[in-house]
Amino acid sequence: MTEKRISHTDLEGLLGRLGERGDVFAPGKDEGGDVVLMGPRHDGPVALDYRNFRLSPKAFLLPQNQTLIRFEDGKAQEPSVPDRETFLFGVRPCDARAMSALDKVFLEADPPDPYYAQLRAKTAVIALACTQPVSSCFCTSVGGGPGDGAGADVLAVELESELLLRPRTAKGEEVLAFLGDLLTEATPAAVKEADERIRAAEDRIAPVKIDDSVQRLGHAYDSPLWEAAGQKCLGCGICSFLCPTCHCFDITDEVRGGTGRRVRTWDCCAFPLFTLHASGHNPRPTPKERWRQRVMHKFRYAVENFEQVFCVGCGRCVRNCPAGMDLRTLLKTIGA
Amino acid sequence: MSQTQSVQQAASEKGWEPRIVAFLCNWCSYAGADLAGVSRIQYPHNIRIIRVPCSGRINPAFLLRALQNGADGVLVSGCHPGDCHYISGNLVARRRFSLLKDLLQYVGIEPERVQFTWVSASEGGRFAAIVEKVVEQVRHLGPNRKLVKTL
Amino acid sequence: MTASHEIETLLRETAEKLLREKKVNLFLGYEKASLPFRTAPLFLTAPEDAQRLAWNPFCSANLAVYLPRLFKAPADAREAALAAPPTVGMVLKGCDARSVVALIQERQLQREKLVLVGVACPGMVDMLKAQRAVRGCEVLGAGEDAQGNVRAVVEDGTEVTLRRAEILADACQECRTPMPSIRDIMLGTAVENKDTGVARQRTAEFGSKPLDARWACFQAMLSKCIRCNACRQACPMCYCKDCLLDQTRPKWVSAGSDISDVTIYHLVRAFHMAGRCTQCGACARACPVGIDARLLARKLSQEVEDLYGYRPGEGIEATPPLSTFAMDDPQEFLTEPSLIPAPYHPAGEAQQGGRAQ
Repeated sequence: MTEKRISHTDLEGLLGRLGERGDVFAPGKDEGGDVVLMGPRHDGPVALDYRNFRLSPKAFLLPQNQTLIRFEDGKAQEPSVPDRETFLFGVRPCDARAMSALDKVFLEADPPDPYYAQLRAKTAVIALACTQPVSSCFCTSVGGGPGDGAGADVLAVELESELLLRPRTAKGEEVLAFLGDLLTEATPAAVKEADERIRAAEDRIAPVKIDDSVQRLGHAYDSPLWEAAGQKCLGCGICSFLCPTCHCFDITDEVRGGTGRRVRTWDCCAFPLFTLHASGHNPRPTPKERWRQRVMHKFRYAVENFEQVFCVGCGRCVRNCPAGMDLRTLLKTIGA
Repeated sequence: MSQTQSVQQAASEKGWEPRIVAFLCNWCSYAGADLAGVSRIQYPHNIRIIRVPCSGRINPAFLLRALQNGADGVLVSGCHPGDCHYISGNLVARRRFSLLKDLLQYVGIEPERVQFTWVSASEGGRFAAIVEKVVEQVRHLGPNRKLVKTL
Repeated sequence: MTASHEIETLLRETAEKLLREKKVNLFLGYEKASLPFRTAPLFLTAPEDAQRLAWNPFCSANLAVYLPRLFKAPADAREAALAAPPTVGMVLKGCDARSVVALIQERQLQREKLVLVGVACPGMVDMLKAQRAVRGCEVLGAGEDAQGNVRAVVEDGTEVTLRRAEILADACQECRTPMPSIRDIMLGTAVENKDTGVARQRTAEFGSKPLDARWACFQAMLSKCIRCNACRQACPMCYCKDCLLDQTRPKWVSAGSDISDVTIYHLVRAFHMAGRCTQCGACARACPVGIDARLLARKLSQEVEDLYGYRPGEGIEATPPLSTFAMDDPQEFLTEPSLIPAPYHPAGEAQQGGRAQ
């Protein structure tokens, strides 16, 4: 796979060219001054001075409100999915890697989830490597890295005056081919600079010793640490909703007379009602059980089922938890 | 032309009629509405009545749901203070309704869309007059677009 | 006002003593969190751990939110056989005290099982405002200087001073009672409660916009909502075991981010706070997308105060305003029929019957 490059000043042109083919989402500043993935883009400057977006881009593949079926007077119709492609530019490697985790859940299922598959097939992800990790990042401790390209179709790396573009999938190759004359071949110097920058970013990420957490969790079910950690949990959905790998959902019918729709919405295992049975029994009645389940799911059951830790170290849960809970603290000590 | 005016115009052109949901307490207001009917007092047909035991039964969520499901306006009516069949249901409700109306107006929902009143069992004419007033006010506002949920 | 580090020392001593003398089984306070500009709640049971307690400009969480679950009535015999509710000590700011009072009024707590350690609060820092003040730079650590301002160490090693007044949480800017109204022990000096009028001003500012502009602004604000429920879960007054907004039979509000459902969620929750919200700001603090969750409840608090003369959280003996009434409660909001009604003619029919007024 040949690497390409483009000068920073031509980035808007690149996005414009993609815009001829599909809807382009790229980083832009919102009214609050935060950088978010905005689109569909028409023109304007791209904001590249960000660490990561507050919300993960998983909503592009697993929308928070997704209509699965519409029905009217007893007749059901699948909602139409626009066939225009979606290009996501600026997704960080952790969030792209999370998409590969979601792929395992939704695409390797039997049968595969058609709603997810439809969106995934028409989405191309151009990830942007990190050069400035924050202290809550720990991607290197969970198998990823600031220059990891898993889950992305193209990995872009910011160099001094240009962007290196590294295709990662066949779709990525195709996109770069489509961009044709806008790009030039990457020089060995550019490739070297990219690798150095990525390595420098890796060095800045403090490692968290959680590579053996899978084994330690295996005999930690009754650890008193769950109670101590869980008692702070408020039971909101911030960690799950902001997490790029969390994917639990609920399906409800919304009906008005004979018309309605079946909708899939995000759900969260930390919600107190998540496992409430119709009988009134709740097998996870307190935050302790729910917190334990959350950590076990991500760091043990996911490995057993999908051979991948369902955490990409993006740090959103750490940064946004109103109770100041920090997954890393627990993972370092559990089952030790 | 303001947004409200254009909505009104579009609505009147298509022969739109306001749909008002009325929550009436069983003992006074519902009886009052019944009296209006028995006395053959005409009042606009745009009103759909839901009978509740007492105005104190009204949960603000009822009104919000009605608006969400497409009602253009909501009317709530109970016994006059002091006459509640359950002694104090309407008195507790009065505080609730006052705050609800303030809240909805504060967020920008037209105050004429959510109205409250007291109608006794003997006030058939008063009920008809109130319905007329509410329907005209909502007609003037046009169809409710705020809070409506499209499925 | 007593300096933070002095309060911190006093707090540690007090907590350690209470635990050691078994006056409390559990002490709730704050400890240093793993990231700057915040603290984490600390559940202390061992006296020697009292050194972990912190008191600094980042102690903004309302710890009263943890109390209802500690005093939850047992659901069945099996639960009743478990340990009785602990005696709980906790450190209280003015807002936390208001929440505790409101919870006691609603019978969610047993006063005799609480040992309340009050501190006059100088106002706490809003994490988001602090982060914006350092213009998105990574902060490695943050502390307090002698003037009560925040000293932050930025990633390149430089130190930045952030004036506390500029990064105070909105709720703190509006706070009228920084002194805990209920306490067993008082740490540090007292302060005068005063009304800066900021709350009224902000409510009036929104209210002065034209109607459609208010709606547009309200909808724009709510369009960011992801229905994470953090505002509700962080609120000490939202302790209902079966929240109306979670009910499925009937389903008052659907899950998900449809703007109509989001709007109803916030309207209903605000309405359930009428006369109960103590303006602590836990909701706005918890919100991950920066919605001003206080907008509606603040308006309702002011209405309750104006109409019924009630301020929540200031007297254990007071009766919550929406569970009572007065015969002369104002009722200008009612609809009266027009004085001289025009006769109603259904289209095409002659006038029938009169109108008795």
